[in-house]
Amino acid sequence: MTVLATNYQAALKVLSDAEVHFVIIGMYAAAVQGSAQMTADLDIYYERTPQNLKRLAKALAPYHPVLRGAPKGLPFVLDETTLSRGMNFTLETDLGDIDLIGDLSALGQFHEVAADSVCLPLFGGSYRVASLDAVIRSKRAAGRPKDLNSLPELEALRDLNNLRAKVKKKL
Amino acid sequence: MTVEEQEFLYELVQNPPPGSKIEAAKNYGVDLTLNLRRLALTPTERSLEMERALELVYEMRRTWAQINK
Repeated sequence: MTVLATNYQAALKVLSDAEVHFVIIGMYAAAVQGSAQMTADLDIYYERTPQNLKRLAKALAPYHPVLRGAPKGLPFVLDETTLSRGMNFTLETDLGDIDLIGDLSALGQFHEVAADSVCLPLFGGSYRVASLDAVIRSKRAAGRPKDLNSLPELEALRDLNNLRAKVKKKL
Repeated sequence: MTVEEQEFLYELVQNPPPGSKIEAAKNYGVDLTLNLRRLALTPTERSLEMERALELVYEMRRTWAQINK
């Protein structure tokens, strides 16, 4: 499989059409809120109910998901059972690289992430996107050099967005 | 984004309040004018712009790989 870049529009539409409950997290969440940092994958925090696992597996199955970086030929079937036995999956698909996150302690449970998200218009649809606060928390908790390096920009961006909202109200 | 909002944010980036995260980012070397430009776009436009930049990176990698074959 040769995937050149994640097709965000197609990936989001596939998930949305299948009525998967998810929140966009990670650097793509930051990018659509104004970050200038680039990311090559789509990270989603998915709800772990049996119905949602079924919807998620069914939505992605036609796009040949495999575990990213795993040896070629390693058996892998993305279905409800696989999703229920695991938690976080880094996938390579025909739509690009998609990371499925079922648990991230820095962000809390799915309902907490959903509550701390904003609805943004994207590609003609409306998607739940983790707030910049949530992205910052997850990056700080991850603690890798690349995550920590992203913090100054994200924190400044959050302040710019907040101050912009205040000015908007005054105008 | 209105002209007034743009002017306000530009001023903030040029002269950030002392001790603010904006000042910290600037001192860290972050070019916040890139963020100002992105904030003027819609979320969809931001995504497309990033995807275009990524495509360029991939294209450069492909070219580099061909040269080094």
